[in-house]
Amino acid sequence: MAELSAKTPCAGLLPVSAGGVTLSEVDAGVLTSLSPRRGRAEALGKALDASVGAKLPEVNRATGEAGSRVIWFGQGQYLLMGPDPAAALGAEAAVTDQSDAWAVVRLDGVAAEDVLARLVPLDLRAQSFAVGHTARSMLGHMSVSITRTDPDTFQIMAFRSMAKTLVHEIETAMKGVAARGAG
Amino acid sequence: MRFSGLKVLAEGLTGNKGWGAHWRDAQPKPEYDMVIIGGGGHGLSTAYYLAKNHGMTNIAVLEKGYLGGGNVGRNTTIVRANYFLQGNSEFYSHSLKLWEGLEEDLNYNVMHSQRGLINLFHSDGQRDAFARRGNMMINQGDDAVLLDREGVRKHLPYLDFDQVRFPIYGGLLHPRGGTARHDAVAWGYARGASDRGVDLVQNCEVTGIDIEGGVVKGVQTSRGPIRAKKVAIIVAGRSGQVAAMAGRRLPIESHVLQAFVTEGVKPVIDHVISFGMGHFYISQSDKGGLVFGGDLDFYASYAQRGNLPMKEHVMEAGMTLMPMIGKAKVLRSWGGIMDMTPDGSPIIDKMEGIDGLYIDCGWNYGGFKAVPASGWCMAHLMATDQHHEVAAKYRLDRFRTGVGIMDEEGTGSQHNLH
Amino acid sequence: MRITCPVCGERDRREFYYVGDAVALQRPDPDASDVVWDDYVHNRDNPAGVTRDLWYHEGGCGAWIVVTRNTITHEVLGTELASDVKEASA
Ligand SMILES: Cc1cc2nc3c(=O)[nH]c(=O)nc-3n(C[C@H](O)[C@H](O)[C@H](O)COP(=O)(O)OP(=O)(O)OC[C@H]3O[C@@H](n4cnc5c(N)ncnc54)[C@H](O)[C@@H]3O)c2cc1C
Ligand SMILES: [Zn+2]
Repeated sequence: MAELSAKTPCAGLLPVSAGGVTLSEVDAGVLTSLSPRRGRAEALGKALDASVGAKLPEVNRATGEAGSRVIWFGQGQYLLMGPDPAAALGAEAAVTDQSDAWAVVRLDGVAAEDVLARLVPLDLRAQSFAVGHTARSMLGHMSVSITRTDPDTFQIMAFRSMAKTLVHEIETAMKGVAARGAG
Repeated sequence: MRFSGLKVLAEGLTGNKGWGAHWRDAQPKPEYDMVIIGGGGHGLSTAYYLAKNHGMTNIAVLEKGYLGGGNVGRNTTIVRANYFLQGNSEFYSHSLKLWEGLEEDLNYNVMHSQRGLINLFHSDGQRDAFARRGNMMINQGDDAVLLDREGVRKHLPYLDFDQVRFPIYGGLLHPRGGTARHDAVAWGYARGASDRGVDLVQNCEVTGIDIEGGVVKGVQTSRGPIRAKKVAIIVAGRSGQVAAMAGRRLPIESHVLQAFVTEGVKPVIDHVISFGMGHFYISQSDKGGLVFGGDLDFYASYAQRGNLPMKEHVMEAGMTLMPMIGKAKVLRSWGGIMDMTPDGSPIIDKMEGIDGLYIDCGWNYGGFKAVPASGWCMAHLMATDQHHEVAAKYRLDRFRTGVGIMDEEGTGSQHNLH
Repeated sequence: MRITCPVCGERDRREFYYVGDAVALQRPDPDASDVVWDDYVHNRDNPAGVTRDLWYHEGGCGAWIVVTRNTITHEVLGTELASDVKEASA
């Protein structure tokens, strides 16, 4: 039998740094999408809290921290990052395993906002996009999820098949911002 | 007044004082045999061929603004006959033949330039599709040459052949394709029609269509009522509104298409280049400006201007294909109102159930090259009440019956897919 | 042009995919005549002025939205979730 070795979506591509900003891959662990059944969002929140100790966020918000996060992920959709979902959640939501389906990266640095300003049609400055804020939007032509996890850190998720483009786009913008800064 | 080399010389030597107006700015009369609503390319060519081919001259063209102020003066001037489907191919073939004799026929310099059109392809599948299209064009009696990558390089050495996403595999060259000076086409037809007695009435907006007992009687306009035995709606992006005056809904959504022109640069692009995968096409005008465009903005609009994302997209595609244009400065951008049909093909027909009412519309983003044949066939229909053979498939009822749908792009006969 | 997604908030036009006249929410009966179906699939009021069309927040939350907008000025006058509109008319 062939020996298959697991590779992360951005294997061989990351990390990269420029102008004090670093792009690196996040080991996201288990990813589970949760779509509450009609009228069951509150019940899902309780079940989630009871089973894995995580809070269901509001729209455009994320809860938790590295290793255990819940990210609002679209209309009627949440992404549980980290913990294994409890079987009990299935009663309140459609539960789908999405592990390995997403390329997950983090962008760290004071100029991270400037880098994303070149790529994302959203105001991602801290006064309008604070720690714990998240959005579904676009990065270049790609559909992404963006979350500010720390004052100078964004977590960005794109479809795994787009990993190379994701890195290419962000790295190009990083270099552009770095060149501007140097001048 | 006849234009000739001698006349240019004589005028040049005498201070260019003898050039008169090219057409009469007519006042509306109370009654005509025929009224054409819309003084764009298609309305003017229809009037011209009614007069020239059918001897009908008691005609008015009613234009709400000024002649040539609509799409005929806003397009990117590409003239080609490279259609694939029966119904379209014979029509555009006929149109290109008319283009080839147009300057002589009109005694007017429309700057028709057959510089060759190249449609690029980027995969084996696309090559097969273009080979088929080329064969269809040749079968129709037009010209097509399938170029491989090196063949394209000979013509267009400045393209980026190895871009990662769309490496260039080759192209389909249509040597007789090219461009023409858009507003000169409107002026030439206007002059030809006016000289033959057609009244061209500007600043005359049609506000109502009078119909009694299923028979058309005339129109209401901003300059008073005008009676007519036959009325033609030839208003491009405004077709929906004007048809509504006759109580009809059309299979048309009006969309905005943008175009761009750079500052004049030295001659560098001597073809029309179409980069379909990137939604980008370009040619260079005789003044030196790079004239280019892309796809629709993709939302219903009458604004005659578009939004920024499409501008960015078009520029990106241009830079992908030919990085050399990156330093050219864009001088202007503008938009026109496109009358989009579900299958992307036009309509030249009688308005079923209303005697004496005709419609010519649905030219999508490709109606400039159609100006001669559309006028020719619409004039034929209005004069004889018979469809001209090369436009016989442009029926309004094809959407209801499903017979004769002409979906060139193969995306489906549905709005917003073309 | 900026569109306010009822879920995400005000967003850039490029995040949205245009689907066409909101007539799509009034699907005829499957047994309706070909004339009715033809009218529904093909014919449009195509107004120069206020119109209602369907957009999909493709590059965002995935909501289907009915946008009330002016086709002459590109002004966006209001947005509602298509599901709310559909439920209200049911
Ligand atoms: C940016 C752009 C690029 C294009 N590029 C190409 C190309 O490269 N090749 C090609 O073949 N085609 C192209 N087209 C398409 C082409 O320009 C149109 O299909 C064609 O010009 C439409 O026909 P027309 O000339 O009769 O329209 P128009 O010139 O728009 O004429 C319609 C006229 O009707 C008048 N009107 C409307 N309502 C009324 C009323 N109520 N009363 C009186 N008058 C009225 C309008 O004022 C207008 O003058 C392009 C279009 C655009 C906008
Ligand atoms: Zn949204």
